[in-house]
Amino acid sequence: MAERHRADLLISCLHGRYPELIPTLQEEIERRGLTGEVGVVEAGCRGLCAMGPVMLIKPGGLFYTNVQPADVPELVEETLIKGRAVERLAYKEPVTHQSVCYYEDIPFYSKQVRHVMHDCGMIDPQSIEEYIAVGGYQALSKALTTMTPKEIIEEVKKSGLRGRGGAGFSTGWKWEATRQSAGDVRYAIANGDEGDPGAFMNRSLMEGDPHAIIEGMVIGAYAIGNVRNAYIYVRDEYPLAVSNLNIALEQAREYGLLGEDILGTGFDLDIKVVRGAGAFVCGESSALMQSVEGKVGEPRPKHYHATERGLWGQPTALNNVETWANIPLIINKGAEWFASFGTENSKGTKTFCLAGQIQNTGLIEVPMGITLREVIYDIGGGIPGGRELKAVQTGGPSGGCIPASLLDLPVDYDSLVEAGSMMGSGGMIVMDDRTCMVDIARYFLEFLKEESCGKCSPCREGIRAMLEILTRITEGQGKMADLETLETLAKTVQTASLCGLGKSAPNPVISTLRHFRDEYVAHIEDKKCPAGVCKALIEYYIIEDKCLGCGLCRRKCPQGAISGEKKEVHVIDPALCIKCGICRDVCKFDAVGVR
Amino acid sequence: MATLIIDGQEVHAEEGQTVLEVARANGFEIPTLCYHPQLEPYGACRLCIVEVIRRGRSRLETSCTYPARDGLVIKTKSPPVIEARAVILGLLLSRCPNVPVIQELALEYGITEPPFPVEDPEEKCILCGLCVRTCHELVKADVLNFSQRGIERRVGPPFLEKTRQCIGCGACTIVCPTGAIEIVLEQAGIYKEKPLGPTAAIWVPSLQAVPRVPVIDTDACIRFRQNDRTEGEIADACGVCQMVCEAGAINFDQQDEVVEVDVGTVIVATGFQMWDPAQLSQYSYGKSPNIITGMEFEHLSNAGGITSGEILLADGRKPEQVAIIHCVGSRDHNAHEYCSRICCMYSLKQAHLVRDKTDAAVYEFYMDMRAFGKGYEEFYERVQEEGVVMIRGRGAEVEVLPDGKLRVKGEDANLGRLVYVDVDMVVLSTAIEAPHDANQVAALFGLSRSVDGFFAEAHPKMRPVETNTGGVFLAGAAQAPKDVPDTVAHAGAAASMALALMDQGEVTISPAVAVVDEELCSGCKTCISLCPYTAISFIEEDNVARVNEALCKGCGTCVAACPAGAIEALHFTDEQIVAQIEGVLAWV
Amino acid sequence: MPRLKSVEELQKLRTQLQKNIESRTETSTTITVGMGTCGIAAGAREVMQAILAELDKRDINAHVTTVGCIGMCHKEPLVDIRQGDEPRITYGNITPAMVSRLIEDHLANGQVVDEWVVGRVAG
Repeated sequence: MAERHRADLLISCLHGRYPELIPTLQEEIERRGLTGEVGVVEAGCRGLCAMGPVMLIKPGGLFYTNVQPADVPELVEETLIKGRAVERLAYKEPVTHQSVCYYEDIPFYSKQVRHVMHDCGMIDPQSIEEYIAVGGYQALSKALTTMTPKEIIEEVKKSGLRGRGGAGFSTGWKWEATRQSAGDVRYAIANGDEGDPGAFMNRSLMEGDPHAIIEGMVIGAYAIGNVRNAYIYVRDEYPLAVSNLNIALEQAREYGLLGEDILGTGFDLDIKVVRGAGAFVCGESSALMQSVEGKVGEPRPKHYHATERGLWGQPTALNNVETWANIPLIINKGAEWFASFGTENSKGTKTFCLAGQIQNTGLIEVPMGITLREVIYDIGGGIPGGRELKAVQTGGPSGGCIPASLLDLPVDYDSLVEAGSMMGSGGMIVMDDRTCMVDIARYFLEFLKEESCGKCSPCREGIRAMLEILTRITEGQGKMADLETLETLAKTVQTASLCGLGKSAPNPVISTLRHFRDEYVAHIEDKKCPAGVCKALIEYYIIEDKCLGCGLCRRKCPQGAISGEKKEVHVIDPALCIKCGICRDVCKFDAVGVR
Repeated sequence: MATLIIDGQEVHAEEGQTVLEVARANGFEIPTLCYHPQLEPYGACRLCIVEVIRRGRSRLETSCTYPARDGLVIKTKSPPVIEARAVILGLLLSRCPNVPVIQELALEYGITEPPFPVEDPEEKCILCGLCVRTCHELVKADVLNFSQRGIERRVGPPFLEKTRQCIGCGACTIVCPTGAIEIVLEQAGIYKEKPLGPTAAIWVPSLQAVPRVPVIDTDACIRFRQNDRTEGEIADACGVCQMVCEAGAINFDQQDEVVEVDVGTVIVATGFQMWDPAQLSQYSYGKSPNIITGMEFEHLSNAGGITSGEILLADGRKPEQVAIIHCVGSRDHNAHEYCSRICCMYSLKQAHLVRDKTDAAVYEFYMDMRAFGKGYEEFYERVQEEGVVMIRGRGAEVEVLPDGKLRVKGEDANLGRLVYVDVDMVVLSTAIEAPHDANQVAALFGLSRSVDGFFAEAHPKMRPVETNTGGVFLAGAAQAPKDVPDTVAHAGAAASMALALMDQGEVTISPAVAVVDEELCSGCKTCISLCPYTAISFIEEDNVARVNEALCKGCGTCVAACPAGAIEALHFTDEQIVAQIEGVLAWV
Repeated sequence: MPRLKSVEELQKLRTQLQKNIESRTETSTTITVGMGTCGIAAGAREVMQAILAELDKRDINAHVTTVGCIGMCHKEPLVDIRQGDEPRITYGNITPAMVSRLIEDHLANGQVVDEWVVGRVAG
C-alpha cells in the first residue's frame, strides 16, 4: 500500500517516449533523501498528449511539459526541495509564448470541465486503493444499499445522460427498455472499440480510470436486473487499456466489488474484457455483439433493438465506456447536478479529441453546448502559424465537415446533426485553409472503403463508386454531372444500407457538397484546387518578390527541381517537380506559392 | 395475427412472418437476390427494400428481415423504393456486368449499361451469402465463409484452400443466383455417368408408378452423408425436403423392417428384371450414352422424366436417325433362348413415339414380328405406315464411330444380304428375365422353376396359376414373360383362386399325410430339406420335426428318408404296404 | 488483500487510504516550510520531517509544501501555517522539538502559539 507523501508527482502521457524517466526520478529522489516524502505516480492521460511526458505536482499544481530524464536533477532540487518552479519546463501559451507554471492557469485546462476525466491523470490507474481513496466505489455502495433498481434508472433518466458513443440515445430509457424486456438472462456491454482515426477519448479513459467504467457497469447491471455477466469490448490495438482493465477487474474481484455477493449485498456480477480485432465496423452495436459471440463481426438487421434481442438473443444494454463512466458521477452527485451542465437536450460534459491543424492537440472535456469557437481558439489555442480555420470534422470518418462560418455552433447532439455532421464518439479534426475539402471527402471514403464490412451492397459498392468519382475529381477528370451522381449515390447509401456505418458513410460527401460545393466546382470547371492540395491540379512556384535566395528549398528538394544562385530568386522546374510540398514547408519567407 | 396495408391493400400476417413473406403470399412482386425461404434472412443485397411507414415515420427497410408487425403501411413501388433499387442494381451491374440475372433485373429498372467503372468484367459473385448460409445452416459443413472486408470481401473456404470438410454436395452451386460457384470433380470416375439416372438425392424411380413415390438416395443425401461422416455428430444437416413437404411425408428415421403376417394363402408376384445388355459386347452398351435400353427410353420419353418427355441425345440434340434392335438377349443361344414376348410391341410403340415426337428416321431390326394380341397386328401396320423402316433380321452389332455416330450392322433376311445403317441413337429391346434372387423365393415357398428360370406352375395347361405347394399361387411375369393384359388376367385368376380358398375358411386335406413319431425323432432335420412342399418344420423347443398336415401331400419322401424310421405315412404304413404286396403276390 | 463484505468495510478502508493521496486532495490547511539554502542550513529539512511525522501520528489532513528563501534568513527555519481564509501565521526559529506542540496547539486545538509567531499576513 502506498504511503503518505507530502508531494506526489503525477506523470502522464509518456507514450513510451522516455521509459527511463520514472526510474531516473525515483533514483534522484532516493539520492536526495526524499524517499517516503515524495511519491511518483504514473497516471492516466492529462489531455495535452502532444506535449508529453507531462508532470503535475501536487499539492500546489505545478505543471511541467516535455519532461525528460535530463531535467530530473534540476527539477528535484528546485521544485521538490526548494519549492520553486522550473520555468523552462512550464507550458508555453501558444499565442503569447508566455510560460504558465500552474495547471489551473493554463487556458487549455481552465476552460475545460473535467468530470469524467477528473481522476484520469490524478491517480494510478493500476491501483484500486487510489481509486477508493478518491471516493471510488462510493456510488456503487450508495446504489446497492440505498437505492432500488427503479430509483437508479429514474435518476439516470432524470440526469438526461445520452449515449456517448455518438447516436445519443437516452441511457436511462435504454436501461429501462432492457429491464422491461422479458428474460432471465440479460447482458451489459461497454463499447470500447474506438475506431475513428484521431480519436482516443475512450482509450485514455480505459487506460487512465478503468475502475470508473467498472463501477458504472456494476451499478447499471444492478439497475437492469438479471445481469450476471457483462463485457467490455476493447480493440486489441489498445494493449495498455486491455491490461489496465484486466488489472482493475482482478483487483475489484479481490476486494469483493465484483463477482459473487458484492459488498455483502447478495448481488452477483462478473465482467470480462473481450478483445476486438480492430475492425471499425465492430464499433457498430450488432457487429460488436456478433464479435463478442465469437462470430464474424458484421452487422445484423436491427428491427429488434438490442434491449430486446441483443447478445445471444437476450436483452442487452450496450453503452459506450464514457457513458458507463458517467454513472458513478450521477449517483454520487445527483441528477440535478449532472443536468446543470450542458444544454436543454444534451446534458453533462463530453470528451473530445482535438486533432489536425490545431495548437493543442489532445484530449479535452467540455460541457455540452460549448461553441466550436471556444473549443478551437480558447482551449485548442487556435490554428498554428496563424492560418485561417476552414472547417471542423466531427464524428469520425462518417461524420461531417462543419465550415468555419458555423464557428458559433453549440456542440451538442442535435446541433451537430442539423449542421450535417454528428457527435460521434468525440473526434474533432480541425482543418485550415490549406485543406482541400474534396480531398478530405476522398480521404474519409478511402478509410470507409477499407472498413466497410462488405456485407450489404449499397455500402460496399456505393462507397467504392463514390470514391472513384471523388478520385476522378481530384485528378481533374471530373464532370459537373458527377456531382449529381454523387448526390444520388450518397442518398441511396444513406437510406438503403444495413447498419450505421453504411448509413453515415456518405456524410463526408454530403456535408462537403453542402458547405463547400464551390470547391468541387473549382476542381471540375476550372481544373484548380483552391487549397493547393490535389497534385494533378497544382503547380508550385516561387514568389519572386518574397524569395531572398537563401537556398534552403534548393537543398531540401528531393528531386533537384529548384535552381538559383545565392541571394537571387530561385526557380522551380515544373517538369522535375513531384509536388511533394517540402519547399513550401521549409521556406521561412512564405515565398513558395501554389497555383 | 397482424394486419398490414401493402400498396393500399389490406393483408394479414401470421406471427413471425416477415413483410416479404406476407407480400409474396399475397402476390406482390419484390425482387430479391440474397433471400431463400429455407435460410435465415440476411439483408445483404438490399433489393427487397420497401417503404415502411410506422407510427407516421417513413423509412426504407429490407422486407426480407422486417417483421410483419400490426398496423404497418408498406409501399413496394413508391418512388424512393424504385430509386434505391435502381441505384443498387446499377452498383451490382457495375460489379458483375456479365451475369444474366443481374442484367435482367437491371433492365427492369431501366439500366442497360454498368453506370460505374467496372473492375473485373468476369466477376460473378455478388456476395449475397446464400452459399455461406446454406453451407452453415443446412449442410452444416461450414466450409464456405467470407474473408476480407469491404470491396475485398471474398467467399471461400478457410484461407481459400481446399478443405476436406467440403463434402461436395453442390448445395452452394444450386443456391447461387449468379452461377459463381462451380463444382470440379477432381477424382473422375467417382460419379458414374448416369445421364438418365437420378439428378438429386431425391428422385422418383418409377415415373408412372401409382402412387408416384420418390425415394431418398442415402448415398447422395446431405443429411445422411453428414451423419455418416461425423459418426452421428451432425445428425440434423439439411432437411430441406422435410421443411418444404406440406404433407409431412418425409421421415428420416424410417428403417427397413421385417413384417411377419400369418396368412393362409400366398400369391407370388415377384415380377421380372431387365437383362443387362453389357453382357454381350457386340451391342456396345455403355460405350456411348446414346445406346440405351428400352427401359431407359421409357424414362426419356416420359413426360415426367429429365427431358420432360422430349427425345434427346445426351448432348441435348434431337436425334436424326434411331435404330431399335429387337431380341437383345432373347431368342439367343448366348443369352436367353426364350422369347421375351413383350419386346416386339413395346419396340413398335417406341418407334411410333420417335416418329411422333421427332422427325428422325427409325429402323427396326427384328427377327419375327410377334403381334399376337388383340389390336396388335393393326398397330404394327399403322407403325409401318408411319414410315418406320422394318429390317427383318437380327441386329448383329453396334459400333461407335469416332464422330459419335452409331453404326448398326445386321442381316436383311428378306434381301439375303448384310446391311448397316448409321444412326444417332440405338434402343436395345432387351430381354426380360427372372429376378436374380428368384431361387431364394423358390426355396422359401418350395416352388420349382422351369429351365428359363421363371417359377413353374403346377400344370402348364390345367393349373397355370397354382404351384405344387398348397395355398401358393403365381401371378404375372414371375411365372413367364407377359405383357400387361396377360399379367392382369393371370393375376385376376390367382386372386380368385386365393379367395376361393379363403372363403371356405378351411381346407379339406387328404388323409394320407405323414406323421412324425416324436419319441423316435432324433431332430436330424434330414426330412426338412427333402420335403418338396415345405410341409415339415423344426420345433426348436421340443427338438423334433413336425409335419404341417395342410401342406403335406403324402408323397412319402420323408418316410423313406428318415434314418430313425420315425415318420410314417398314414394309410400307407409299412404294414399296409407289406400287406398289399403280399396280397398281390398271393394273387399271382 | 481484504475482501470487503459490507459497505462499512469499504468506508473504513477508504478512510485509511485517503491519507495516501492526501497531497492530491483539497484541504484547507497548508503548512509551508522555508527551504532556501538558509533554511536548509538552519535545519528546515529536519523540521519538515518532524512535521510530517507529527501529522501522520495525529491523523491531521494538511498539505506540506516547500518554498524558497523569503528574506528573513535569520529567523530560519520558518514555518507558515494557513487555514482556510484565516491570516497566514509565520513561525520562526522552529526546531524539530517544537513541532509537536506547534501542531497540537495550532492545528488540533486551534490555538496560535503566540510566542513563536514572527508574522501574520491576511488574505
